[in-house]
Parts: sequence; structure tokens; C-alpha cells
Amino acid sequence: MRLAQLVLRSFRNLVDDALEFPPEGVAVVGPNAQGKSNLLEAIYYLEVLRSFRGAPDRDLVRFGGDVFRLQGRVVTAENDAPFQGGRPERTVAAAWQRSGGRKKVTLDDVETERLGDGVGHVCAVLFTPADLALVDDGPHVRRRYLDIVLSLSEPGYMAALQRYRQVLSQRNAALKAGGHSPQTHAWEPLLVDAGSRVTVFRSRWIDTMAASFSRIHEEISGGTGARMTLDSGIPGLPEGQLELEGVSEALEVALREARDRDVRLGTTTVGPHRDELLLLLAPGEGAQDVRRFGSGGQRRSVALGLRLLEAETIRRRRGREPLLLMDDVFAELDEARSMRLLDLLHRTAVGQVILTAPRKAEIRFRQEGIERWGIRDGRILR
Amino acid sequence: MSLIDEVTREFSRLPGIGPRTARRLVHHLLRSSPEEGRRLARALDSLVDRIRPCRICGNHTEEETCAVCLDPKRDRSTVCVVESAFEVESVERTGQFQGLYHVLGGRLSPLDGVGPEDLRIEELLRRARDGDGEVREAILATNPSVEGEATAVYLETILRAEGVRVTRLARGIPVGSDLEYVDGSTLAQALAGRREM
Ligand SMILES: [Zn+2]
Repeated sequence: MRLAQLVLRSFRNLVDDALEFPPEGVAVVGPNAQGKSNLLEAIYYLEVLRSFRGAPDRDLVRFGGDVFRLQGRVVTAENDAPFQGGRPERTVAAAWQRSGGRKKVTLDDVETERLGDGVGHVCAVLFTPADLALVDDGPHVRRRYLDIVLSLSEPGYMAALQRYRQVLSQRNAALKAGGHSPQTHAWEPLLVDAGSRVTVFRSRWIDTMAASFSRIHEEISGGTGARMTLDSGIPGLPEGQLELEGVSEALEVALREARDRDVRLGTTTVGPHRDELLLLLAPGEGAQDVRRFGSGGQRRSVALGLRLLEAETIRRRRGREPLLLMDDVFAELDEARSMRLLDLLHRTAVGQVILTAPRKAEIRFRQEGIERWGIRDGRILR
Repeated sequence: MSLIDEVTREFSRLPGIGPRTARRLVHHLLRSSPEEGRRLARALDSLVDRIRPCRICGNHTEEETCAVCLDPKRDRSTVCVVESAFEVESVERTGQFQGLYHVLGGRLSPLDGVGPEDLRIEELLRRARDGDGEVREAILATNPSVEGEATAVYLETILRAEGVRVTRLARGIPVGSDLEYVDGSTLAQALAGRREM
């Protein structure tokens, strides 16, 4: 999958423009605070329909403006699965209006029924220096990673997750309002139903991708082993339980056993909202949590591994070569890791790459082939 | 605020009517004969004055008791439990149901502070318990939303305790949709295939 054209209107500090991207990608080189990251933010907005920096939509409208609009034309690459109806290209557009606070998303000029229908059409994976937080921050960051990867690759995941969240907040409100009562317990079967589906999606993905993660990590780190596993928020869930029925049973029992505690605390203490994606170093010889015991370089390798795994998921589950967006990534890596990452990308990532760097010297990917653009005050210089 | 703005705002408060449509409706009324507007006003006026909940089932009626509850041909041992009177109409349109109704007046939603005491649940229990003890079966026809399902689970628990047979509308109704948007034949199927809980 590649981005053929991006049309920018009133987005951040970027000058209105229609950018045509070369098939193999481009390196955008320029000093900081000129708008390099804003450009990647615009492209990735079309993938997830929100800012990867967590900025509210109103902050994305250029100063003094009312509406921003982004439009991307994506084209399938040689071995990619075609779009619906066998079409080789598709236009995704997103607009947000400050007055009224309305977001409008269109696919080939037809407004999507739900916002969720507009997500995931660019097949982009974003790498940023902030990815280190995937390893360093609390479990919720890794759950969000799972949620994004699974929402973009497994039909039905987002619906199950949304339903689970809704039941969960209703049950928590019921625990506070009603204590032990039939109306509080009435939420449990629904929580079991949605929660076990979420758990099975996550467990199956981890089960399928764990070997790839270990391999990818080994290649970047130069030999150190790493492993990922789910530390389920359902106590008593047997390891390797991937069947819906078994998971439902375990969650049902766990909820029943947690009732007293849940009523006392006024919140639900078991379930997939308490999952932790464990990232372990050195399997076999007393595996250690990389978050607590990993060196700076090791933590960075693992974070990078998670992004590459996201790309691998798109390749496998959606049958498309992902578009890689890399925001000043090489500056953060030591020489050896950079070289190994480059080597890995050369061998596995055959799609388009759009990367940014503050100086020419930082561009090491596809040195020979890739086009270079400059950027100054939000204007892309081709 | 001008009178036109005021009426426009009232229209746009209605479900499914945005500000544009509201403006169009107001201008349509102004262009039409004065009698058209008066007729609408009179109809609305008597609607809010005369429609009230049936004292037995909570359905809309102009009398003390609704036409369904008064109909001697209806099967008094089966009660279809719905969230609102709107759904009574939907189920009636299928022509497949011969029993009576019970309108809850909402659904459990702790987040909105709606508990069992805010719904017409005591009244439902009373219908099962005393009177002639007529109610043998309750068909739970709450919406398949998260809140509607939880309400059904709750009703099942407490109705069972009263010795009432409890069934639930069969699936076939797309999950996440409101009964309001389900077509008659789907609803009729779901009704025929209701399941034991
Ligand atoms: Zn009645």
C-alpha cells in the first residue's frame, strides 16, 4: 500500500498543498519546529482519525481557521489485496469543523456511516521516538497498543471492546449505587460475554505473533532473545486457553469470586481491562520484565519490535504491505541498532517509507533511491 | 429571540430533526394556509392533554385502561415486557402477538442513575403476584442494547422467583440496533423464536 497523494487544508502550520509522493517514499529533511512531525501526523490521522500525539481536533486546525481537511489517495502495491470491487485505489478524506465540532470522514467521496468505518484504510505504521513509552509506561499503554493493532486487523474486535467498556462502566456505576443486589449482578453475564471475546482476540493474536516478535527482536538487538505473553486480568485463566467457552467460564468464576471485593471498592477488579502485555528478556534463563530490568538500548529495541510487529500484522492479516512512517527514529538508536534495523527493513519492508530527519546525515534508509524534500515554516520544498 | 427562531428551536429538539430541517418545517407552515398550522397546534395540544399511561400496563391511552388491556380476546396469561409504549406499537404492527403488554418506562442504566425503582417493575411484579395471578409467562422484549440486555437479566431473576415462565425475544434482531429500526418481519420472527432464559 502506498500513499500517492496528500491534500492539506488548514492543518496545523502546514501550508495548503497537494503533495505527490514517489512510490518508494521520501525523506523530509529540515530543522525542528518546521512541521516535519505535523506532516506525519496528517498522514497518520487518515489511518486512525485522530492525532497520534493525543491532541484534540480543535488544536489541529491552523491558527485562526475553522475547518481542517486532509485527503489521501492510496494505491495498492503489486502484491496487495485490492479494495472492494477490485479497485486499485481509494481516496480517504477527513475534515473537522471547529464551529459545531463535527468530524466528517469520506471514502471515495461517500461519507462513512460510522467513524469506525473510516479507520485503517491507509495501512500505515508510525514509528516515533515516543514509542519508548510502549515499554516504559504503565500497562494501559500496552493495552492501547493491543487495542489499536487488533482494531486495525481483526473485524469485530472494536465492537467487542466498545461493548465491554460500556458494560464495565455500567457495572462500576451499579456497584457504587446498588452494592450486592440482583440489579448489580445483572451486568455480569454481559461482562462475561463481551470480556471473553476481547480476551480471546488478544490471546489468539499474541499466540500467533509471539514467534515473529522474538525473531524480529533478535534481529534488531543482535541476538538477545525476547518474548511476549499475556498476563491476563482474569485470575485463574489457564495459560494457552484460546477457546471462547473456556475463557467465558474462567471470567464468570473470577467475577463471582471478586463480588465482595468489587462491592467494597466500588469497581470491577477482574477482566481484560486489567490485562498486561508482558515483554520479557532472555527467555529460558529466568525471563525478566524488560520494563524493569532492560537497559536503555534493550527497551528501545523492544519498542521498535512492537512497531515492526504491527507492520507484520498488517501484512499477514490484511494482505497489504504497510506504509511505514518514521519520525526521526534513527537519531535515537545507537549505531549498531540502526544498522541492524536498516538491514531488517531492507529485507522485509518492501513498501513505501516516509521518514523525517533534522539533518541529511540522519537519513540512512535507502540512501541511494529515496527522494529528499526540505521543509521550512510548514512549506514542503520539493 | 424572534418567534420564528423560537419555533425552529422547538422543532429541532425533536429526534431526527436538525436545525436545517427545523427551519424548512417552519417556513413550510408559514407558506401553507393558516388552517394547516392551527390543525397541527390543536392536534399537539390534545395529544399532550389527553394521552396518559394505561393504569394496568403503562401503554399510551386516552382512557384509564388501554384498548389492548380491555380486549377480551387477548391472552391474559402472557405479558410482553417492553421499554416504552413505542415498542408496543412495533409489536402490535406484526399482528403476531395475542397477549398483553407491560411498559417499563425505560431501562436499567446506573450511569444515568436509573435503577429498578425508577421503572414500572413493582407494577409488573404485582401483576404476576396478585390480582388473578393471571400472568404465567413474561416475554422480555427489551432492546438488544447493553442496557436492555441487563434489564432483561435482572427481570429474569426476579420474575423467576415469582414462579413466572420467562422468555426472551430470539436473536435475529441485529445486535446494537434499536427495536425502533427493526422491520416488522424480523420482529415477528424474533417473537416466534423467543427462547427460555
Ligand atoms: Zn394497558
